[in-house]
Amino acid sequence: MAEPAQVSLKELEKKQEWWWIAERKRSKRLDYLRKAVWKKGALGGNYAPGIKVDLELPTLFTQAWDFWRFDPIMLRRAKTNSNVLDNITIFITDHAQIMGYMGSAPHTITWRLDGASMVNEELYNEPGIMPEPQEESLKKIAEFNAYWGGQTAIDKLARVLDPEDAVKFLSGAIGWGAPTSAYGYSGKNYEYFMTGKRGFEDIIAEIDASIEKAEDRTIGLPGPDILPLYDRIQNWIAMKTALQASIRWAKRFARLARIIAENFETDPKRKKELLRIAETCERVPAKPPRNLQESLQYDHFIQILARFEAHEGAWPSRPDYYHGPYYDKDVNVEKSITKEEALDLVGEFMIRAYEVGGFAPRWAREGLQGITGTWVWTLGGVKQDGSDACNDLTIAFLQAARLVRVANPTFAFRWHPKVKDEVMREIFECIRHGLGYPSMRNDPILINNAMHWHGHPLEEARTWVHQACMSPNPTTKHGFQPMRMASATANCAKIVEYALHNGYDYVVNMQMGPKTGDARKFTDFEQLFRAWVRQMEWIFSLLVRTVNLGRYKDPEFFGRPFLSGISERAVESGLDAVSYVGERGNCWITAFTYVENADALAAVKKLVFDDKKYTMDQLITALEANWDGYEEMRLDFVRNAPKWGNDDDYVDNIMIRCLEECARFSKEIKCPCGNNWPILPENVSGNIHYANIVGALPNGRRLGDALYDGGVSPGPGLDKNGPTAVLKSCGKIDHIGHGRAFLLNQRLSPSQLAGEKGYQLWRAYMKTWADLGNDHVQFNMVSDATLRAAQKDPEKFSEVIVRVAGYSAHFVDISRKTQDNIIQRTVQGI
Amino acid sequence: MPKCEECRKFFSLEEDPKKGDCVQRVVDPRQAYYKAKPVTAEKDAAKCESFEKK
Ligand code: SF4
Repeated sequence: MAEPAQVSLKELEKKQEWWWIAERKRSKRLDYLRKAVWKKGALGGNYAPGIKVDLELPTLFTQAWDFWRFDPIMLRRAKTNSNVLDNITIFITDHAQIMGYMGSAPHTITWRLDGASMVNEELYNEPGIMPEPQEESLKKIAEFNAYWGGQTAIDKLARVLDPEDAVKFLSGAIGWGAPTSAYGYSGKNYEYFMTGKRGFEDIIAEIDASIEKAEDRTIGLPGPDILPLYDRIQNWIAMKTALQASIRWAKRFARLARIIAENFETDPKRKKELLRIAETCERVPAKPPRNLQESLQYDHFIQILARFEAHEGAWPSRPDYYHGPYYDKDVNVEKSITKEEALDLVGEFMIRAYEVGGFAPRWAREGLQGITGTWVWTLGGVKQDGSDACNDLTIAFLQAARLVRVANPTFAFRWHPKVKDEVMREIFECIRHGLGYPSMRNDPILINNAMHWHGHPLEEARTWVHQACMSPNPTTKHGFQPMRMASATANCAKIVEYALHNGYDYVVNMQMGPKTGDARKFTDFEQLFRAWVRQMEWIFSLLVRTVNLGRYKDPEFFGRPFLSGISERAVESGLDAVSYVGERGNCWITAFTYVENADALAAVKKLVFDDKKYTMDQLITALEANWDGYEEMRLDFVRNAPKWGNDDDYVDNIMIRCLEECARFSKEIKCPCGNNWPILPENVSGNIHYANIVGALPNGRRLGDALYDGGVSPGPGLDKNGPTAVLKSCGKIDHIGHGRAFLLNQRLSPSQLAGEKGYQLWRAYMKTWADLGNDHVQFNMVSDATLRAAQKDPEKFSEVIVRVAGYSAHFVDISRKTQDNIIQRTVQGI
Repeated sequence: MPKCEECRKFFSLEEDPKKGDCVQRVVDPRQAYYKAKPVTAEKDAAKCESFEKK
């Protein structure tokens, strides 16, 4: 779709067609690179035409994996990955300055074939993504699947899981994910490798010293204390192997850049750039960076290298904080690059992340429509001494975001009272331009929250980044969490559903939860509430048991030499970074479809037990019929029962009571480190994924209806009392003591928030939000008219971005059901 | 029988001329790029459709 060239910028601004404005304002380089991206996010569940699975990586991987079969797992993986890094095709895109991709061509998605046989089988049956000649590709994939069957990480874990837990977990009704590093997402120990103090050669020297010391002991006095050292020496060798291969891989880009510069490139400016790329890739990651380009390249290499090792479904990082000093040095002090040149680097840094994509099973594609993972980058916040951490690079990232308009990565901003007005204005501009990000996080609340739930010391808590969409994770030696799996993700609407059906699941036709009594015979609300508590405890326990076991066995079943090599505690101890030893613990249960519980319980309390309008018997009969034949009654439950988000104590108190029970139980269930499992209500787009899995509920919902979109957002269109009432309801939650974080989606009116007046209104809204102690809010500021127009003419509006849940996506890439769900959300006039 | 070392796209390693990279220009529907893949100088190029005599 061509840009309407004759239309003025002012006109475009008036029409809020920000994507055309971005195209005009960004540099030629950014324009080329942005349009060069092959979008890897699935469009409503299906991959875009032209996207192909990469078969070079699995071939190199499988050959070496088999060859090194007698090595211990971490060393085996390190040598296997080395074979990939040394031999996979690399490429340099025209105009690019930042290098590194996991596939052998820009249009490829990678396949983690050592993760789960189920996923491998799904890939075999996925239409459209086989490289030509298709028959040959299918034959190859069938051979890989035959080889890996039974020896993937999940195959191994399935053999030790409790069979009942396994069946119930795999039913897909109560949670999703796979408890292995293969599909998890790792927090990173940025305070170890990203502070400019060390590069990989320095870490290798530290490892060598540890090996030498350990070897001295293994030829010394015999005793039990030296026995663990034999395994640890192998692990250290694995870490060293992984880091050395990483340096060699980076140098392959340096060599290619030089070959292009010396043999093909005729433009002197590009030649110079290519030689700088060569210099950069010779420098990092071997040595610490010296300037902004090296620093961004170092970071990007590390992110990609981690993805060569595991799928990495998220991208925890804090780019303004760690790269800010280099920006300051280059742009402000030495003036070696201009602001515009820096903006080009920053914009490309985002584009490089946007292009990353791996094959995901259908449930994950449906849950993360339009994107390939939750790349939520953290901006702002405070330094370890409590002072404002925002810098010029914070602003550059916010400006670059409006130029490149990618849906992934997005930003989450750590707001605190010392954030300057100029930064807040840049944030508002991003929101006003309809990006849906940054989401706003309440830094003082979340730092206290990290101390409350996991005992992080203050200075450690202050380093936090988003481990995925929402959950804070420090970046320190003992604070960072190396493995988090989405499989501690609970489909919470099932709690109230099971409480009403004696633990039986009518959708999957199985006795799932404990038998908590025939709800038809309940005579008061307390009986129902007690059943709710027991079902909640059961669901959380099952998921956490599974994930704990996955984490505990991961070093044995998977092994992460590269991640270990960039983690201080692993380099020091010789243990896999995923080992829980030395970690404080930072787990959380993602609570999908949570708010339905409050609305459903309130509806039963009000209409059955208080008003006695219906009996429990009538209600259960109507629910079992999916409200079919009971429409009048259903509408009564929709319209005349109190709903969360209206500052109505009747339902808000039930919400709080439920959260208090969860918080109590969160301290009883423990992670492998012995720490707590607080809940974190949010949805990604699980509210759509679970629409056909959650049965009818007393809030009037039918099987198949979309669930509520947020973690504490009111149901779409059910918040009738304005934005302050929403904030007040949410403010009744104790955002420190009740859980880890609480996701709130809000839709604002772009016309109301135009200009300076709009900014001031938003600031006042944010003040109320902060004063009420809320920890999160994110905004959609795209009008209904634009969204409806995009539904009618997707090609013309292909660049419209919306906030789905903890992430943003291009509106045309999400399913019609999700699109409608976003349009249905109340537009709040503030 | 032609070998990779006879091809214009072969770039040998300074430290080991028996090894090198096959460097090719690709223009796909969205972008243009150069790609590199390690090959040996001795590799049989008879069946390579991209072979170009030096
Ligand atoms: S194009 Fe073919 S013959 Fe030439 S270097 Fe590459 S692989 Fe060898």
